[in-house]
Amino acid sequence: MYYVELLLVGLVWGCTYAMMALGLTLVYGLLRILHVAQATVFTLGAYVGLLVANHTGSLAAAFVAAGLAAGALGPLIYRLVYQPILDKPPFVALVASIGVLIAMEDGFRLVFGPYGLSFAKNTWFTTSLRFGGLSLNLVQIWIAIAAVVLLLLFALFATRTRAGVAWRATVSDPAIAESFGVSVSGVRHLSFFIASVLAGVAGVLVGLLNNLVEPGMGSVISYKGLAIIVLGGLGNVPGTLLASVLLGVVESFGTVYLDKVMDRDAIAFMFLIVVLMIRPQGLLGKAH
Amino acid sequence: MLEGRDLSIAFGGVRAVAGVNLRVERGELAGLIGPNGAGKTTLLRLLTGVLAPDSGSVRFEGRDVTQMPIHRRAQLGFVLTHQIVRPFRDMTVLDNVMVAAATQVTLRPWRALVSVDTRPARLRAQALLARLGIADAADKPARSVPLGYLKRMQVARALALEPRLLMLDEPLAGLNYTEAARFADLIAQLNAEGITIVLVEHNLGEVTRIARRLLVLHNGAVLAEGVPRDVMARHDVRDAYLGADQDAVAHA
Amino acid sequence: MDYYLSVATFAALNVILALGLNLISGFCGQVSLGHAAFYGLGAYGAALCSVAGLPMGLSVAVGMMVAGAFGILTGFAALRVREDFLAIVTMGVGFLFLGAVRKQAWLGAEMGIAKIPSPLDKWGYAMLAIGGAVALLLLSLHVRRSWMGRAFGAVAQDEDAARSIGIDVSGYKIAAFFIGTAAAGLAGGIYAHMTQLIVPDAFNFVQSVTILAMVVVGGIGSTLGVVAGAVLLTLMPEMFRFINDYKLLVYGGLLLAVMRFSPEGLAGLVHRWTGRRLA
Repeated sequence: MYYVELLLVGLVWGCTYAMMALGLTLVYGLLRILHVAQATVFTLGAYVGLLVANHTGSLAAAFVAAGLAAGALGPLIYRLVYQPILDKPPFVALVASIGVLIAMEDGFRLVFGPYGLSFAKNTWFTTSLRFGGLSLNLVQIWIAIAAVVLLLLFALFATRTRAGVAWRATVSDPAIAESFGVSVSGVRHLSFFIASVLAGVAGVLVGLLNNLVEPGMGSVISYKGLAIIVLGGLGNVPGTLLASVLLGVVESFGTVYLDKVMDRDAIAFMFLIVVLMIRPQGLLGKAH
Repeated sequence: MLEGRDLSIAFGGVRAVAGVNLRVERGELAGLIGPNGAGKTTLLRLLTGVLAPDSGSVRFEGRDVTQMPIHRRAQLGFVLTHQIVRPFRDMTVLDNVMVAAATQVTLRPWRALVSVDTRPARLRAQALLARLGIADAADKPARSVPLGYLKRMQVARALALEPRLLMLDEPLAGLNYTEAARFADLIAQLNAEGITIVLVEHNLGEVTRIARRLLVLHNGAVLAEGVPRDVMARHDVRDAYLGADQDAVAHA
Repeated sequence: MDYYLSVATFAALNVILALGLNLISGFCGQVSLGHAAFYGLGAYGAALCSVAGLPMGLSVAVGMMVAGAFGILTGFAALRVREDFLAIVTMGVGFLFLGAVRKQAWLGAEMGIAKIPSPLDKWGYAMLAIGGAVALLLLSLHVRRSWMGRAFGAVAQDEDAARSIGIDVSGYKIAAFFIGTAAAGLAGGIYAHMTQLIVPDAFNFVQSVTILAMVVVGGIGSTLGVVAGAVLLTLMPEMFRFINDYKLLVYGGLLLAVMRFSPEGLAGLVHRWTGRRLA
């Protein structure tokens, strides 16, 4: 039973990572940018969600507000930070992105204080469900549901809507897509919007899961998000989802068996390094 | 001088090169041709070590070099140029050639660290630029000179390595009619001076003019081999090219 | 006086760190987001030796070798993965170092190593650090002029083309990682003896980013620019008290502003204004 519980906890983390990493892989696939600053979007989502929840008492309103605030910030970062430096070497955008991340982390600290805030009423956190010998709280269950629903919505969008088809065409060949009348700039904004909404929602969920929203909550998950998209084979959506789930499970078991040797973050990155040394192109990436 | 034995490689189940045997004799100028998708570039990459073959071996001057890294082959005098010119963009044209002229010095990083004398390499690089007629661009950054110059610079860079075998991957691509003819003359002249040359080329007119032997590749295998006039007269060679062309028409 | 000496010492240590990273990323073109790990390896290596009773000079040398040895390992990783993949792998090296050290009882875990013997006075450390910084400055200027520097340039600009002209790309990458990380180890060894106390968090990702910020603000690839960047970013929080309270805000904003308006850093500005390229 213990192992099943470890597996479930790992899968729940995998779902959180997937919500974060899907957006990172979208941005990478389109622009070859390692969008570390997505952590900022995640943290903003968490703060907005918390403030709205504590004011209105409605989690539904909290999620909508978090999604909208995050959804506005992401495209804004694209416009102000990335768009003017798209023609520069790749490290330029990465360093700029790291700059946004650490500056905003300090910004959150200045506005909301260094110690973090908790939800006034967090019934999901305090309610546990039992299945046989297993116990999961409601946040964990909602994380799994939210991840599956959002990813399915994304899959429907990408395969069944005109905008989705235009988006995929732009990823595979921007020049040709443009010649067919697709607005490349529109597609980029849309990708940042989708990535950011996912990150914002994930931020609220992680805030609920820990019952704590703090300035630095986004950074580590964002670094791991980058590890995941690299692990999945940069820009490869199925690879990213597979890597998310794998990483969640590896961490979950690793923290039990490797606790004496290294911490959770080190386990995640060691897994990344070992996999990349064996398969430099990532789990599902194509060799070139 | 160069011998490929039973070379094969497959990508995702598709055999791009299937059991190719070929020999290049010292001093010859051989042309490697074939319709689009015949496997020319793949074969070249196998011979030069960019790709490792699934099976088969490559021997250079009697030595098995199948597993040898590219830079070691270059040091032995087995040199390739890339299909798309790849200059060091932030260096001047002269510096581009100088780095190649100093391979004896840069062979070991620690020796390179204690070597600051650039005179011998500069003199050789300047001589090569003059020889290829691009001395006037010596101090321009490589990013800013036109393609015709870059193609010559690439050859100068290859010559700076004192090659015994030069593999040129579509050196005439992107040049206009007169430029291509002049460049082909240059290649023939280099060969006359003793450098063995293998030429992968789409420009059939120029290849058949300067090459003394042709190898035709089709569907990853050698279809024909021999003196240009005889090879080009063969029905199966014509069919391979025309068939490919008809396919291309059907696709367009 | 003591205050100025310690600021000067930290500025010199940062110059060593930044010039080491510049050798790897600026000269040889290999992005590294985990440079603080090698600073830490040098510090821990030297601290362990010193606590065990070795003289300081030998301890610092051991720290350098430990950092350099792990640098070579990372160099081998750079042979397998490139560019964006390498950036994330080196970031991972940083987290791996930190996460492993935190759990090792023999390294003091979260509490780090305390009571490291400190044989020199403030002047001694300042002179040592400044001497190290000058040595690295001279080395960097020399490397740029030497054939090693030209080969690094070829590797940085186009690996495949470098191979085809007979350059041993692997050898040069490993050499760059070795020199750059051993330099970080030197800084770590001096730091450990000077402060007499080291904790894992002194070598975290933010520290790696700070070193990167110095390189980038100064102008990646330009030795003199990087020295200026390192000194400037050390002095800024000292000169303006308020910057110290919002250090990350300022560093982050600076990184963003430099990338946005002058990706070639201070060296790029000098080039734009005077038409001269800084060494």
